[in-house]
Amino acid sequence: MGTVELDALEVRLGGRTILNGLSGVLRGQAIGLLGPNGAGKSTLINTLLGFHRASSGTARIFDLDTYRDRAEIRSGIGYMPEGDSFIGNMSGVHFVRYMAELAGLPSAEALERAHEALFYVGLGEVRYRKVNSYSLGMKQLIKLAQALAHGPRLLILDEPTNGLDPIARQRMIHLIQEIRKEGSVRLLISSHLLRDIDETCDEVLILKSGRIAALCNIEEERRSNHSFMELETVGATEKFSVSIRGLGCECASFSGGRIKLVLPENIEARDLYRIASEQKVQIRRMHVRRDSLEDIFLRAMDTEGERPAHVHL
Amino acid sequence: MSIYKHHYRVYTGRVTPIWTRIFALARYGLAEAWSTKITTVLFVICLIPPVGSLFTIYLSNNPAARLLMGNVGTRVLAIDGSFFLRVLTIQSWLAMALASWIAPRLITLDLVDNALPILLSHSISRFGYVLGKYAALFATLSTVTWVPCLLLFAYQGYASPVPWAASNLRIGVGMLAGALIWIALISLLGLALSSWVKWRAVATGIIFAVILVPAGVGAIVTGVLHTKWGFLLNVPVMMSFLWERLLGVHSRIDNALQLPTRAIVTMLALACCLSMVMLNTRIRAREVVRG
Repeated sequence: MGTVELDALEVRLGGRTILNGLSGVLRGQAIGLLGPNGAGKSTLINTLLGFHRASSGTARIFDLDTYRDRAEIRSGIGYMPEGDSFIGNMSGVHFVRYMAELAGLPSAEALERAHEALFYVGLGEVRYRKVNSYSLGMKQLIKLAQALAHGPRLLILDEPTNGLDPIARQRMIHLIQEIRKEGSVRLLISSHLLRDIDETCDEVLILKSGRIAALCNIEEERRSNHSFMELETVGATEKFSVSIRGLGCECASFSGGRIKLVLPENIEARDLYRIASEQKVQIRRMHVRRDSLEDIFLRAMDTEGERPAHVHL
Repeated sequence: MSIYKHHYRVYTGRVTPIWTRIFALARYGLAEAWSTKITTVLFVICLIPPVGSLFTIYLSNNPAARLLMGNVGTRVLAIDGSFFLRVLTIQSWLAMALASWIAPRLITLDLVDNALPILLSHSISRFGYVLGKYAALFATLSTVTWVPCLLLFAYQGYASPVPWAASNLRIGVGMLAGALIWIALISLLGLALSSWVKWRAVATGIIFAVILVPAGVGAIVTGVLHTKWGFLLNVPVMMSFLWERLLGVHSRIDNALQLPTRAIVTMLALACCLSMVMLNTRIRAREVVRG
């Protein structure tokens, strides 16, 4: 059983098809939801939360239908929405307690968990301050605290680092990594920042114009791709290139002694050094480059011959 | 996840049934409504007339006390349907003032800071959300309408030297029904209008305006066109007719100008339905973060 199962999911809103025939099983501990603006990320999240009904097909979370069983599903979900969403007139601890009670915790336990969640996300010292006096970073953190307080099985984070400065962003990423490492909570993180997904997720679903452009395990995808290597050499570059081709490497030479090659599984860097030594070629620089999430994303976007818009690294 | 060890801890404790979470909404709504001193002041003002009525009932049933007060005439102190109609009318309009203050506090705070996506991402439906807020308003308004009215009725039944309650049961039932109808109307109206207005003070004014402005228009229609149907816009008059009939009190208004009960009930039901549509439209539009 996957965390999220999509079967030909189609969602139409206002006469427009927003999600178009999404199918796939998301099994990762932390699933990244990527896509340019307007790709359908938020609509997919709202559908998973039971706010939108599928026009056709189904979406299931932990084997429960997202619309029919939405009350049961929501009990086990912690949701951190993208924009500002809180009750500004309440103190932090009061707000988180309220949300925990709505999620089903008895009053006393909700209060205890609210304190714990606020300390956990780093808002312990400001928990009695009214939420509308918080900074943007604190508001993001209190949204995370309320999503965590009731101990959900699935945590849905919509643009968790939105508007955060580098330090606050790093703190948020660290918290997400820690939650992921703890292992009891599955994460679904929507973002248009590839770096956030790269640092926190092990599986990625890439949407483009309401369709799935790619669904893959990030680590496996990286492993399945060849290792690219860039060399800067001084000496008999052409001869050196021919020799390393003889090892089974795909290789291309450029001016200035630059060589780009794809290293097969059985060949290691020391083999290159050995040949270079034999041929009196100096290797001045060696840069190993594996497929990044950016490459995976760009490949997914390129499948329909377009480049993504509004994607930042 | 604990205060001393800042790591995440899974919750494994008891979970409340889904249907009880509406009470959490109502409880937090009540707490918010009563967090201001103005609510307390309004509530105290609402309890002054029942205290006066209690004293009247006491005097009416106690000749010795009447003598001490200068032998006030028994006609002035007659405890009958008209007396309870007056009490109900006064309490209902005070409840209206209280509702127009509390209703915006219950709903605008959620809307101003866009809290609905988070609130409704829990196991609470739109209906459950409105029901929770309605319950908070109902509880508060009950304490100033049917509860004191029925307590006065019970006291009159107890204090009267002759068996009174059984023969006047219609008054008690009428007060309960009349107050419940009024609470339903003003609660829904208050919540619906509050959901469309960002500022609480403006929302309070609009709630009054929605009751009083059509009443004025209705009076003009009745006066100019010489038709009783103008009263259909006049909530105070419609409610007076309804309360009189529920309590079995003879109306002072000419029979020719009386509206049929069916027309009044239809109009009130329409107002309630319109309020629910307004609420649903507003909440539906705000329940998700549009992406």
